[in-house]
Amino acid sequence: MAANMKAVKLRIKSVQSTMQITKAMELVASSKLRRAKERSDNCRPYFREMYKTLSSIANSNNDFSSVFTKDNGVEKVCYIVIGGDRGLAGGYNSNLFKAMEADAKGKEICVLPIGKKAVEYFKRRKAEIITESFGETASVHVADCFEIANLLCREYKEGTCGKIKLVYTEFVSMLSQQPHAVSLLPIVDLKNEDAKEVIRDLIIYEPDSTDVFNAIVPEYLAGVIYGGVCDSLASEQAARRTAMESATSNAEEMIEQLNLHYNRARQASITQEITEIVGGAEGL
Amino acid sequence: MRTFPLSIGTPDGLLYEGEVERVKVRSITGDLAILAGHANYCTALGMGEAYIKTPEGEKKRAACIGGMLTVIDGECHLLATTWEWRDEIDVERAKAAKQRAEDELKRDNITDKELRIAEAKLHRALVRISVSE
Repeated sequence: MAANMKAVKLRIKSVQSTMQITKAMELVASSKLRRAKERSDNCRPYFREMYKTLSSIANSNNDFSSVFTKDNGVEKVCYIVIGGDRGLAGGYNSNLFKAMEADAKGKEICVLPIGKKAVEYFKRRKAEIITESFGETASVHVADCFEIANLLCREYKEGTCGKIKLVYTEFVSMLSQQPHAVSLLPIVDLKNEDAKEVIRDLIIYEPDSTDVFNAIVPEYLAGVIYGGVCDSLASEQAARRTAMESATSNAEEMIEQLNLHYNRARQASITQEITEIVGGAEGL
Repeated sequence: MRTFPLSIGTPDGLLYEGEVERVKVRSITGDLAILAGHANYCTALGMGEAYIKTPEGEKKRAACIGGMLTVIDGECHLLATTWEWRDEIDVERAKAAKQRAEDELKRDNITDKELRIAEAKLHRALVRISVSE
């Protein structure tokens, strides 16, 4: 019994120290989440407007003279995957990769991973990686997004890939984050499938559509990628906070159980001792 | 004068949303102004001074760098990479940036990429300074 008591006590201690860590991580995640959420709230209108404007252009556009607007016939899809930098965030990273794999099934792909976990994942999967220089999501700023956008535009123009898609985790609320795969290029892919055949409005492009798209597309890619990065960051922290919160409450539950065990064992050993003493006294 | 809805967005947030009489920006080919009742329109923005005229008749000046301007069904969306209202421009910083860019351009062993970056920086600094003056 004494040995059992000691084992239970040790286990309680180890669970307690784990709980301390998860609690600390929860606090860190919630303070980071507040900042990340602010940033994501700030740039969301831009991201939304940008995407909406480009979609409405896609819906009413009938000018396909720019390489960015029409299908260039290349089957290969380039995925920009925005993952997390660290683990211990529940299913955040695995859900993201699952969504990406589901979307990429049966297609020829290359990837541009952002975030350490994404880079590691695609390296392990031996996928074709365009660049792995964006290993940390948290340090990606607007300027980096422009760099990524220019790089992708170059690849697209050269015909290395025919479609560009962005996979990121949308921050729906503190408790819910949804991984998504959205099409970015060519612009015809942005067309709303279910939109009724609208009467095509004419849009005036100044000076002409090729020049406008050549100037807008890198800007648009950068804006959308930046929005995705901000949203993903907030999602990562929210996922981590939820995971750590449930880990902490699990640890609390466990400690309660173990305490019960410990007290039972203690009581049993006392009872046994008394029985032994009484038995011994009777024997005299 | 008739007004139309305008929204100005940047990666740092939505900076303006509401009715305006007129918006003037510099596109990649030159200055242009949008008035109410414009046909569907799309252009890319360059670097330069911009202003909006509110229904109260106030003219708000700003430095606008990069982005796009679209008019779809009477609504005007201006998505800029940076948009700084005149009173928010940090002139000292812009002047320092101008100095740094000029020093950079004077260097002998400058690479093509560095040259492009320095030129863009100088251009942006000049726009900010000219708007604030």
